[in-house]
Amino acid sequence: MGSAQSVPPEMRALAERTGFTSEQIEQLHRRFKQLSHNRKTIRKEDFDTIPDLEFNPIRARIVHAFFDKRNLRKAPAGLAEEINFEDFLTIMSYFRPIEMDMDEERLESFRKEKLKFLFHMYDADYDGIITLQEYKNVLDELMSGNPHLEKESLRAIAEGAMLEAASACMARTGPDEVYEGITFEDFLKVWKGIDIETKMHVRFLTMEAIAHCY
Amino acid sequence: SVLLVRHHSVRPPFCCHLLLAVLAVLAAAAAEARGTAASQAPGAAAMGTGTPPSPSGTAFEETRLHVFTLDYPHVQIPFEITLWILLASLAKIGFHLYHKLPSIVPESCLLILVGLLLGGIIFGAEEKSPPVMNSDVFFLYLLPPIVLDAGYFMPTRLFFENFGTIFWYAVVGTLWNAIGIGISLFGICQISAFGLTDITLLQNLLFGSLISAVDPVAVLAVFENIHVNEQLYILVFGESLLNDAITVVLYNLFKSFCQMRTIQVIDIFAGIANFFIVGIGGVLIGILLGFVAAFTTRFTHKIRVIEPLFVFLYSYLSYITAEMFHLSGIMAITACAMTMNKYVEENVSQKSYTTIKYFMKMLSSVSETLIFIFMGVSTVGKNHEWNWAFVSFTLLFCLIWRALGVFVLTQIINVFRTIPLTFKDQFIIAYGGLRGAICFSLVFLLPPSVFPRKKLFITAVIVVIFFTVFIQGITIRPLVEFLDVKRSNKKQPAVSEEIYNRFFDHVKTGIEDVCGHWGHNFWRDKFKKFDNKYLRRLLIRENQPKSSIVSLYKKLEIKHAIEMAESGMISKVPSSVSLSEYHEGKIKPLSPTEMENMREILTKNLYQIRHRTMSYNRHSLAADANEKQAKEILIRRRHSFRESLRKTNSLSRERPAAANTKRFLSLPKNTKLPEKLRVRNKTSSRVGDSSDSEMDATTTVLNLRPRAGKILREQRLRQQRPPSEFSMEWKNEVDGSQNGQGEQQEPGSLPQPSIGFRQPLLTRPRFGTLSREDLTADHGLARPVPPPRLVRQASQGERQRSKPENQPY
Repeated sequence: MGSAQSVPPEMRALAERTGFTSEQIEQLHRRFKQLSHNRKTIRKEDFDTIPDLEFNPIRARIVHAFFDKRNLRKAPAGLAEEINFEDFLTIMSYFRPIEMDMDEERLESFRKEKLKFLFHMYDADYDGIITLQEYKNVLDELMSGNPHLEKESLRAIAEGAMLEAASACMARTGPDEVYEGITFEDFLKVWKGIDIETKMHVRFLTMEAIAHCY
Repeated sequence: SVLLVRHHSVRPPFCCHLLLAVLAVLAAAAAEARGTAASQAPGAAAMGTGTPPSPSGTAFEETRLHVFTLDYPHVQIPFEITLWILLASLAKIGFHLYHKLPSIVPESCLLILVGLLLGGIIFGAEEKSPPVMNSDVFFLYLLPPIVLDAGYFMPTRLFFENFGTIFWYAVVGTLWNAIGIGISLFGICQISAFGLTDITLLQNLLFGSLISAVDPVAVLAVFENIHVNEQLYILVFGESLLNDAITVVLYNLFKSFCQMRTIQVIDIFAGIANFFIVGIGGVLIGILLGFVAAFTTRFTHKIRVIEPLFVFLYSYLSYITAEMFHLSGIMAITACAMTMNKYVEENVSQKSYTTIKYFMKMLSSVSETLIFIFMGVSTVGKNHEWNWAFVSFTLLFCLIWRALGVFVLTQIINVFRTIPLTFKDQFIIAYGGLRGAICFSLVFLLPPSVFPRKKLFITAVIVVIFFTVFIQGITIRPLVEFLDVKRSNKKQPAVSEEIYNRFFDHVKTGIEDVCGHWGHNFWRDKFKKFDNKYLRRLLIRENQPKSSIVSLYKKLEIKHAIEMAESGMISKVPSSVSLSEYHEGKIKPLSPTEMENMREILTKNLYQIRHRTMSYNRHSLAADANEKQAKEILIRRRHSFRESLRKTNSLSRERPAAANTKRFLSLPKNTKLPEKLRVRNKTSSRVGDSSDSEMDATTTVLNLRPRAGKILREQRLRQQRPPSEFSMEWKNEVDGSQNGQGEQQEPGSLPQPSIGFRQPLLTRPRFGTLSREDLTADHGLARPVPPPRLVRQASQGERQRSKPENQPY
C-alpha cells in the first residue's frame, strides 16, 4: 500500500518522537494520503472532505487545532498554512492511549500535553489565557446547533462558568491581582479530578480505518 | 443541629435500650396478636395471610352485646405490614443515634442483627419457626423498588461506556462461578465421608447457580458508604443488575433439568436460546414501557399532581410483565427506568420531579430495610441442617471461584478496554461480589420434593450471605482505604464542567472522524442524532432541542432559587464549590414590600454614590472637608475602584458598560464602586434579562441581592486587605486607615449578606459626612447620618445603624 513513499526511512525517527508503533504510523499514513489526496501536505480545505466532521459544532476549532503552531510545537503563535505527515502525527500523538508501563512522571507530562492541546483550542488569540470573550465564543459554537437559545442565556452561562473558575482561583490571587481569565494552571485544576489521559485517546490500532467513502 | 447531635450522643445507651425494648414489645405484640387470633398462620407467610376465624357464636347461641371487642383478624394483614415497616424504620433511626456506627458497620449488618433478634424473640414466644420471608413477597414487592431506584439514578453515560465489561462480568462471570462452584461442590459431595453423596450433579449445579449471583441490594448497601470511584462502582453494580438474566436462566434451566428424566442436547440449546430471550426480552419490555411512560407524561401538564404516579406504575408494570413471561424482571425495570429518565425529566414539573425522587428513595429504603430484617428473622428457626463440610466448602468455593473468575476475566477484557483494570480494581471487584437476598429467596423457592436436602442448602446459603454481608461488608471500607483505591469526589455539578465535557466530546468525535475511526463516540453521536430527530420530538412536550449545558445551568439556577427561598434569602456562606450555584434564578422574593424598600434604599445609595463620586476628583475635593477623612476615603475608594476597574475590564470587555468606565476614567480611579457592582450584577444577570439595562439602577439592585453575599463580601475583603497599599502611598494615613480597616474586620461573624449590604450604605455616609447637606437635599432621605467624626467611628456608628435596616433579610 504505497509504503514506498517517504515513510520508511524516517519511520523509526517518527516512531521515537511521537510514540506510535510502526503499524499505527502506517495506518495513519494511509489516512493522511486519503485526506491529502496523495499529496505531501494537507491544507485546511482538505478537512472539508470529511463527511461527518460537518456536523461537528466545533469543526473549525478542530481543524485549526491541526494547524495551530503551538500544537505543532513550531512557534508560540500563529497558524500554519499546511501540514505534512510529520505534523499530522504530532497532532495525533496527543491522542495516544496511555501505556501501562508509563511511570508517574511520564504520565503527568502526558496528561499535561493533552490538556495543553485542549487549552489551545480554547485560547484562540495565543495569549495563554482564556478570557471571557473566548469562552463565550466556544460556547456559541457549542450551542450553534440550538437556534432557539437566547443570547442572554449563553452570556450568562459563560459568565457563570468564568466566575466558577475565578472562584476556584480566587484564593490564589492576592488582592491586587486581577482575574484576567483562565490560565493554564487554572485549567489544569479544573480537570484535576478527571482522568483525561485515559479519556483522551483514539484507538488507533484496534479498529481499521473505515471511512473510504467520499 | 450540632448541639442536637451532641445532646443525643450523651444519652445513646438509654435511647437504644429503649428502642430495642420498644422493638421487642412490638414484635412480641405481633406474635401474641397472631397467637391470639384463631387463624393458623402457616410458616410461609410473613405478612400473615391468615383466614379470619368463624364468627363467634353460632346462630343458636345467645350472646350478649359486646361493649368492647378486639377484632384482630379483621385488620391482621395491614396491621402486621404496618408494624413491620414501622419496625424497620425505627431500627434505622436507632442506628443513626450512634452517629459513628453506620460508618463502621454497614446498615445491612445491623438490620440483619435486628432481624435475628426479632426472630429469636418470636421463636421464643411461639416455640415455632417465625414467619419466613415469602419469596413472592420478596420478588414482587420488595425487590422492584430497589432496582427501580438504582436504575433511575444510574449514571447512564458511565454505564454504557463500560457496558462491555459489565456484560462480560455478568454473563461469563456468573456462568464461570455457577459451573465452577457446582462442579467443585459435586466433587466434594462425592467424598462419602461427608455424608453428601445423595446430592446429584444437577442439584449442585443448581445450587451453584443460585449462589453465584451477586446481589444488587447488598452491593448497594455496602458500596453506598465507601464511595469508591464511579468506575468501580458501576462495574460491580452493573454486574449485579445484569447477572439477573443469567441467574434466572440458569436457575430455571437446572431446576427443570432436575425434574426432567432425560436431558437431551436440544435442551441445552434451548437453554442458551432461553438466555437470549430472557435478557433481550426483558430489556425490550423495559424500553417499550419506558417510551410509553415518556409519551404519557407528555400530556400530563394539566394533571401535574399524579405525574409521579405514572413513573412508578409503568416501571412496576414492566417488572411484573417481564416476570409474567419468566423474563428478567430486573433488567426490564432497569431498562425502563433508564429510558424513562431522560424524557420524563423534561416533561414533568419540578415538583413532580422532586416527588419522584424522594418517593423512590423512600420506597427503596424501606424495601431494603425490610429485606434485611426478614433475612435475619428467617434465619432463626428450624429450617436448618448443618453439615460442616458442605457449608464450609461452599463458602470456600464461592470465594475462590469469584477471585479466580474476576482475575481471569479481567485479563481477557483488559485487552479490549481502553482503561485497563488494575489489580486493586480487580480485588475490589472480587471482594465486592456480595450475596444477598436474591439467592436467599431463590433457595426458599426450591421445591422440596426434588431437593430432599433443601435445608442444607438453606443453611449454606445463609452462611455465605452472612459472611459476605458481615465480614466483607465491614472490612471493605478499611481495605479500600488501605489499598488507597481511588475514591469518588462528589462535587456539585458545575456548569463549566459540563461545558468542558461537551467540548471534549466533540473534540474526540472530530478527531475520530479525521482518523476515520469509529469509536464509542461515533455510536453515541449517531444515537444522539436519532434521539434528537425522532424520539425527543415524539416524547417531549415542548420540544426545543435543549442542550444539557443550558438545562444544567437552569437547574442550578432553580435549585439555587429554591434554596434561597427556603433559607429566607439569607444564603449560607458560600463555599467555593457552591459558588457555582450562585446564578441568578427566577426568584420570587419572599417579601415584595421589603424588597421594594431595600431596592429603593440601594438605588438611592448607588445612584448617589455614582452621582457623588462623579464629581469626585482628587483635584476637586471639597477643601473644607476633613482632610484626613477625605483622603482616607479616597484611598479606599481608589484602591477598590482600581481593582474593580481591572476586574471589570477583564470580565466584561465588550459590554457597553465599558463605555461608562471610560467616562469615569478621566476622573482617576473614582466611581468604580457602582460600576463594579453594576457590572457584577450583569455577570449575574438572569437568563433572559435584557442586556441593555446597565444604567438602570433598579435592575442593578435587583440582581445585586442574591449575589450580594459573594460580591460584596469579596469587596469587603478586598477593602480590608490592602493596608500595605495604604502604607505605601499615604504614610501619614497609615494609622487611620489601618484602624479603620481593623474596625472593618470585626464583623466577620455576622451574616455575610448583611455585611455585604452594608457596604454601599457604609460608603454613603462617608460622602455624606462631607457634604451631607447635598445628600439630604438631593434625595430627601430621612436616614440620620452621623455627624462628621473620625471615619472610624462613623463606620462603626453606621454599621450599627444599618444593622436594623438589614433586619428584613
